[in-house]
Amino acid sequence: MSPAPKPVNGRVVLPANCTIHGARALQAHLLEQLELPGPCEIDGGSVQQVDTAGVQLVLAFALDCLERNLQYVWKSRSAALEEAIRVLNVGALLEYPA
Amino acid sequence: MTLDLAQFHETFFAESNEALDSMEAALLKLSAGDADLELVNTIFRVAHSIKGGSATFGFSDVAAFTHTLETLLDQMRGGKRHVDSGLVDTLLRSGDMMREMLAATQAKQPIDKERVAALHAEIELIMSSGGAGAAVPAKVAAPAAAVLEEADARSGWRIHFVPGPRLLRNGNDPLRLLRELATLAPCEVRADAKWVPPLRELDPEECRLSWRVELDGAVEESALKSVFDWVDGECDLNLEAFGPAAGTPVAPTVPAVAPAPAPVVAAIPAAAADEPAAPAAKAAPAPTPAASQAAASDGGSIRVSIEKVDELLNSVGELVITQSVLSQLAAPLEGRDAEELRSALGQLERHMRALQESVMRVRMLPISVVFNRFPRLVRDLGQKLGKKIELRLTGDSTELDKTVLEKIGDPLVHLVRNSIDHGIESPEARIAAGKSAHGVIELNAYHKGGNVVVEVIDDGGGLRSEKILAKARERGLVGPDEELSEERVYNLIFAPGFSTADVVSDVSGRGVGMDVVKRNINELGGHVQIHSTPGKGSMVRIRLPLTLAILDGQLARVGSEVYVVPIVSIVETIQARQEQVSSIAARAQVFRLRDDYLPIVRLYDLFGIEPQHTDLLDGLLMIVEADGKRVGLFVDELMSQQQVVIKSLETNFRPVLGLAGATMLGDGRVALILDIPGVITRFQSREGQREPSQRAA
Repeated sequence: MSPAPKPVNGRVVLPANCTIHGARALQAHLLEQLELPGPCEIDGGSVQQVDTAGVQLVLAFALDCLERNLQYVWKSRSAALEEAIRVLNVGALLEYPA
Repeated sequence: MTLDLAQFHETFFAESNEALDSMEAALLKLSAGDADLELVNTIFRVAHSIKGGSATFGFSDVAAFTHTLETLLDQMRGGKRHVDSGLVDTLLRSGDMMREMLAATQAKQPIDKERVAALHAEIELIMSSGGAGAAVPAKVAAPAAAVLEEADARSGWRIHFVPGPRLLRNGNDPLRLLRELATLAPCEVRADAKWVPPLRELDPEECRLSWRVELDGAVEESALKSVFDWVDGECDLNLEAFGPAAGTPVAPTVPAVAPAPAPVVAAIPAAAADEPAAPAAKAAPAPTPAASQAAASDGGSIRVSIEKVDELLNSVGELVITQSVLSQLAAPLEGRDAEELRSALGQLERHMRALQESVMRVRMLPISVVFNRFPRLVRDLGQKLGKKIELRLTGDSTELDKTVLEKIGDPLVHLVRNSIDHGIESPEARIAAGKSAHGVIELNAYHKGGNVVVEVIDDGGGLRSEKILAKARERGLVGPDEELSEERVYNLIFAPGFSTADVVSDVSGRGVGMDVVKRNINELGGHVQIHSTPGKGSMVRIRLPLTLAILDGQLARVGSEVYVVPIVSIVETIQARQEQVSSIAARAQVFRLRDDYLPIVRLYDLFGIEPQHTDLLDGLLMIVEADGKRVGLFVDELMSQQQVVIKSLETNFRPVLGLAGATMLGDGRVALILDIPGVITRFQSREGQREPSQRAA
């Protein structure tokens, strides 16, 4: 039986425009989240536009979480985000290992 | 050393405008429903190239707008959005906006940011409204054009793509490159994240990911490289062909990059961050025969400024004159050496003519350059006026001199607008008249007798000659009892300010334009004719010279001077008889030619030179015509007809009313080229000053 997920302390909401144009703001938001203790939830359900810069930021965040043993779960991903993740083939890197 | 990018701006603007032309043409071909992938790719490539170029040159407004447009196009490309007329309309307006922004940037003028923002918001709205369906399938079927053939064994390309530090900042996006690769052939993508630093150290505008892609299909190398055109120099790229088409042993499989989270490492510039390359990656891919062919065809043209071509043409013109001088000098010589000299000079003349024709051809462009604007114009104006119109273009590869092309564009636009507004009837009126609801406008171009003929034909209601005549009588252009042939009635529509339109619209009807159309065409040395059949339609036929640099001229002597009269202006030449000449004032004389009385223009008097003859019966009268007016030019004698190279008086001296330019004759003399409309104006103005109450004509 797999362990019960820990309660979520923080929530990362990815913006509708998840591109290089808003990359610095997104980086700041993700860095704030990294400072919070405990698991967090990533909500990518409202992402409408996304590019490599946006995906790379989320990826760096996910890698940092792993590095720090901060658990995260994906709440949702929009179709645009799913497609970008699939084309760039970074899906496996974005999943927190079970 | 810093590279000055400004030197490439003009080329970028010129190429972007050409690319926007092809984007517009592709958009107009898009039909509702599922988008034709080939067309959407063409449109996408234009947007992508302009975005990349704009970002590289720092034209951030253009890059940002085009980026959004590109995203919308990408949705179409991924099959997520169906094409409808509203979407095509937005894309066409987006193309217009890009053109406008580029023009403003080029002219260093401010961009109308409000309008840009409004259209930007419209595109965003479209993108956020539905249509975001299934993701692009992992393996996209390759377009037939890109895949040469199905190989028996697997063949394809292994690609290692490492973005450089400036790639994202310059508006390029690996996501799009990978999507574009997927349109060439099915592909397998592996990402490498080991150089992605911790979030705090990551420059969000720098790509630290890299990819290995295996493209499964015999794709042409040129097609593959074109995907990476805009990131050339901004990434490390290795292309390695595999399979039978490669002609090299299949390289060992590239090991999968470990997706394990990378340990924190110091930031390493992407160019230096590459791991040791796979052995096969070092060798350049062996191109397939088709790829070699494609490579050989690359770079088949170069962009040269028109000034350079004109300099070359001018130099060739000088050589032609010098060769002609040499031939004249050799003519009187005698003996065997003289015979050999003349033979060599004859050969030189043939080569010179060939050279001249070759250089002239460099200035020639297909008339499609002008025709291409009409599909959009007809579509937009037809929609606006509620008319259904089909446009047919033929002969669009017919070539014309660049200057002629530039000057014929606006008159043609005017004629087509007139056909749409006044010619083609509403669908209801057409059906009532037993016609198809769809009107047809044809634009034809073809060569005829050393000229180019362009026709604008519509199957509309035709010209109403009785209405034109009534309006002309009302305006005093035609006497109450004066009878005119049908052709002359139709020609009345070229009179300044003439219009029979009951309603003045913003399309046409103010009577401004048709006179300008005729004047522009006449200024080009061309001629315009109208044919019309009531209820069936009209045709405007324009005859244009192939070039403005060379003129077919009749040489005429007046005293010791030689003038060149453009052959296109000459109606006939006659020797006057006493009974044909009448004096109507102290010095003014007219000449009766059949039923007309024509003013006589004595060139020696007009230009103040000493003639051989002053008696009209001793010389010749050249009947010339311009702007519907005929006069008799009195000259001493006619010489030969020849093609002359036109030298501008304006550039080399100053403009002179009545003279179009000058040329050098074979004997080294300068001959002045007459501008017949100017000669008539000069004559009338002189007569007016001389005898205001008694002027002829």
